[in-house]
Amino acid sequence: MRVSKDGTFEENSLKKKEKMMMMKDHEKRKLTNNDNNKMNSKSKSKNLTSIDKKSQQQEQQQQQQRQQLVEEELASDSGDSDYQGFVDTGTDNGFDSDQVREDQSEITESHLGVEESDSSEDEVAPRNTIGEVPLEWYRDEKHIGYDITGKKITKKDRQDKLDSYLASVDDSKNWRKIYDDYEDEEVELTKEEARIVGRFLKGKAPHGDFDPHAPYVDWFKWDDAKHPLSNAPEPKRRFIPSKWESKKVVKYVRAIRKGLITFDKPKEEPRFYHLWGDDSSSTEKTKHLSYIPAPKPKLPGHEESYNPSLEYIPTQEEINSYQLMYEEDRPKFVPKRFTSLRSVPGYENAVKESFERCLDLYLCPRVRKKRINIDPESLKPKLPSRKDLKPYPKTCYLEYRGHTGAVMSISTSTSGQWIASGSSDGTVRIWEVETGRCLRVWEIGEAVQYVAWNPLPELPILAVTAGQDVLVLNTGLGNEEEQENIKELLRVETPTSPDDNDNMASVLRWIHNDKHEGIKLRHFKSVSSVEWHRKGDYFSTVMPAGQSRAILMHQLSKKLTQIIPFKLQGLPVASAFHPTRSIFFISTKKNVRVYDLLKQKMIKKLETGLREASSISIHPTGDNLIVGSKEGKLCWFDMDLSSKPYRALKCHPKDITSVAFHRSYPLFASSSDDGTAYVFHGMVYSDLTQNPLIVPLEILRGHTSSNGRGVMDCKFHPRQPWLFTAGADSLIKLYCH
Amino acid sequence: MDMNTEKEEEERRVQVRFVTKLKPPLKAPSNPIAIPSNLTRLGLSSIVNTLLKAGDPELQTEPFDFLIDGELVRMSLQQFLLAKGISAERTLEIEYIKAVAPRKEEEPSLHDDWVSAVDGSNPRFILTGCYDGLGRLWKGAGLCTHILAGHSGAVSSVSIINKKGVESVTVATASKDRTLRLWKLNTEDSVYHPMKITAFKILRGHKASVQSVAAQTSGDMVCSGSWDCTINLWRTNESEAESDEVSIKKRKVNNQSESQLEGEAVATLVGHTQCVSTVIWPQHETIYSASWDHSIRRWDAETGKDLSDIFCGKVLNCVDVGGEGSALIAASGSDPILRIWDPRKPGTSAPVYQFSSHSSWITSCKWHNKSWFHLLSSSYDGKVMLWDLRTAWPLAVIDSHKGKVLCADWWRDDCVISGGEDTKLCISSGISV
Repeated sequence: MRVSKDGTFEENSLKKKEKMMMMKDHEKRKLTNNDNNKMNSKSKSKNLTSIDKKSQQQEQQQQQQRQQLVEEELASDSGDSDYQGFVDTGTDNGFDSDQVREDQSEITESHLGVEESDSSEDEVAPRNTIGEVPLEWYRDEKHIGYDITGKKITKKDRQDKLDSYLASVDDSKNWRKIYDDYEDEEVELTKEEARIVGRFLKGKAPHGDFDPHAPYVDWFKWDDAKHPLSNAPEPKRRFIPSKWESKKVVKYVRAIRKGLITFDKPKEEPRFYHLWGDDSSSTEKTKHLSYIPAPKPKLPGHEESYNPSLEYIPTQEEINSYQLMYEEDRPKFVPKRFTSLRSVPGYENAVKESFERCLDLYLCPRVRKKRINIDPESLKPKLPSRKDLKPYPKTCYLEYRGHTGAVMSISTSTSGQWIASGSSDGTVRIWEVETGRCLRVWEIGEAVQYVAWNPLPELPILAVTAGQDVLVLNTGLGNEEEQENIKELLRVETPTSPDDNDNMASVLRWIHNDKHEGIKLRHFKSVSSVEWHRKGDYFSTVMPAGQSRAILMHQLSKKLTQIIPFKLQGLPVASAFHPTRSIFFISTKKNVRVYDLLKQKMIKKLETGLREASSISIHPTGDNLIVGSKEGKLCWFDMDLSSKPYRALKCHPKDITSVAFHRSYPLFASSSDDGTAYVFHGMVYSDLTQNPLIVPLEILRGHTSSNGRGVMDCKFHPRQPWLFTAGADSLIKLYCH
Repeated sequence: MDMNTEKEEEERRVQVRFVTKLKPPLKAPSNPIAIPSNLTRLGLSSIVNTLLKAGDPELQTEPFDFLIDGELVRMSLQQFLLAKGISAERTLEIEYIKAVAPRKEEEPSLHDDWVSAVDGSNPRFILTGCYDGLGRLWKGAGLCTHILAGHSGAVSSVSIINKKGVESVTVATASKDRTLRLWKLNTEDSVYHPMKITAFKILRGHKASVQSVAAQTSGDMVCSGSWDCTINLWRTNESEAESDEVSIKKRKVNNQSESQLEGEAVATLVGHTQCVSTVIWPQHETIYSASWDHSIRRWDAETGKDLSDIFCGKVLNCVDVGGEGSALIAASGSDPILRIWDPRKPGTSAPVYQFSSHSSWITSCKWHNKSWFHLLSSSYDGKVMLWDLRTAWPLAVIDSHKGKVLCADWWRDDCVISGGEDTKLCISSGISV
């Protein structure tokens, strides 16, 4: 195996390299190994030229063996049969012959003149012929293999380990000795070989003379190379389908058929898309820090056309009116007409606007609003339809005209035939409900604050408050017998002697009023309201500034006055009697106190949570009450439920002036300074487990506001679902169902 | 194109034949003629008038109303046929009647206060009640003959008691002073100065204002409805001997030597729960009453039993019986809808007709005496409307009052009298029913 360092070898190695490159699943490490191998053989051949044949053969044998060892080790690593076949020829012989054969073919192909190497001369058959079989097979045998003639090669007696160690200690060449398992003999490397091995270990070229950085000789003739490098016909493997590939394909096909591999369906692109739509939806899908698109500027409309239709062009008056507007309110763009697009001037605000837009985009932080998609309809409480809650007052058919000032208060007679009204013009009037005729007028002389009709049908008298006075007036509507009684009742003896009760006299006096044929009760402070007890004998008056004597209880039959013996905290606003029991309600600005008049103690304190209560009304059953406040809130209390409002309705934008319950229909109403009255359905069930049902029904408009006051009072007709409203516009209106 | 279609529409004609129940001078030839289909009542009326004039050139032009299949034409003929689904192919039979509308507005008769009640059941005079507590008798427009003085409160209702075979006229008035008064007067005297009359009988017994009074057809009794929820029946006779059980007092009133009787209720019909606003006594033994408790009741006057109820849902201010077989009940109250019930229909709870052209409360409704179809209504919106059952639109709207109209009635079959808040009694005459 005489291989010189000429081109053949190079080419050969190149070829090999190529071949190796083509090999699949080849590890890089193997490649380097192979390189080493090549180097090895190269150095070997070089070596062989210098030494004599015999020693050469020996040397070669040894080297081969060692190489074989190295290679074996590598081969066992890789386990590649292809490679093994190439490397592990057992002896140099196989390997080289193989190689040379290839070399020869290469040579013949490339027509390069190369020195002929006599391979047969170099061949030294290995003593053992077992080939490449695991040596474990022979571990328990006496022989190690067979020689070329077929005779067993018996194993040498194994030296004692201690002996061999001792022998090796003495022997200075021991480090060069290697035991060959196949041949069952010890081989001693020459110095040269050991040096080469040392070079290998250092990663250098095996031969010391080899210059790894030799100048590159470009042996290829570039000029006339019109054809591919190799003229060899295409190898067969290029034409036959790859077996491995087809196996792989079959495997995939099976997997697909079994359903182990599933494919995503191809996404169908929506055919149409919203051109101007918000593209935020697409970005929403991404999970990471999402990009919030800038809000889109307003799209141009017809008015921004260079030649908009006439209705977009503002008139001169409109343009003038723009000048009066604030800068912010003024329209940004005033449409103009141009005869052609050519005559449209440059937009003067272009730079400014784009700058502002940029500023907006930059400075205004964009936050994605988390919206919950809930149908707002589903959040609304299920209320019965208004149709099912008829009748309730709806339309105004009648007006009662005659007052010249704001009507402060109204009161209906028990029968529902008449209403009384008190006005700030200083008059009290009685009206016929049916026709709207004014039956009687009293000139009080002072603005009337409150009127209250006696609840007894046989006692048609009125209690009226005006300034510091409370007047009890005879309406003169009853029959003769009743009139007699009333006259009797309204007769007051000459002023009671001061020794009767001094302290009361300072508070109040009962005086006969000749002018109106009634009784005048002069209070020490101005009286805001008066309420009758259901039996028509007692009535209470409220003096907001009266401090401890703010609420007085009067008895008409005995002409007596009592101070309510309860301590009040806060300014009293209104009072009310319980419709059936001897319970008295006093509303202060913040709370409603409930007193038992018989036991003379407080039963309950209702916390309205309002800033300033203004009016109170008790449900005819007595367990529920409503409180109207000056902030436009209405509170419904269920006294059995709690001392907190059962429901607070914020309906009026302005002060509530009055609230009222209907005596028989499940209705209640509130009137406000905003000029409206609200009518609600307020059903109280006799079943204690069921909470009252409150349904807003109707907003009654019609009154005009004057001096910031709207509707001053509202009262229901005692028997019909009708509502009377008293307005600051000096009208009383009747709303019918 | 447009011209063509217009022409086509103009040329669309229908074959009609005019028929009528009117007397010969107003009878048009009944042979069919082709008329344009876009004609309205006015056009039809002018056609009929030309047809009539062709026969008799002397004839005055008269407005007519037209009926197709018993329904008044209130739109163009084409629309009417379309709406009713009547084929225009065959000859259409159109009946014409005289248009019901007032032709003349008489001079208003002024009162001192609101006119609250009016009765025109006697063709010789009109009786009115006023809020000043006086009743008045009018011979005609602006001609007051008698003043009925005595009530201390506003007169709320008046009724003429037509006694058969009695020359002198008896009238009854109800007042808010809780009494009723009966008056006797001789209408034959021709007086130029109104004569003051005092009542011959005072009927006391109601505990609250009396709202309505109605006389029996025979004239022997009157009934009254009041705010005390009752209906009282009273005798109208003068003789003291007859009513032994009734305490009769004689006393001098206002220094007048004339004696005044006092009467007490013969019977009381209890059943209404609220104010009885109207009573009527159309037949000898049947009384109808309307009340604020939303019901119309029929009473048996003999036994005092409640025979039937109709519930309406609204406060009722007026009721009248008339129409076909004097059986239809018209009533209305606290809403602008005039409702008509037919009690003969089984299971009648819903009204058979509803007229809703008014805009406020209706104060009175009255059937025409002779006609089955016509009735009037007055309302707080200041209008008196004439209705025909055969159309949903009012035949005529009399807008002569300023402010509320409180009462209205027919008079002499061709006049509508109405009194209102403006203290006027208006007479609209020349209505040819």
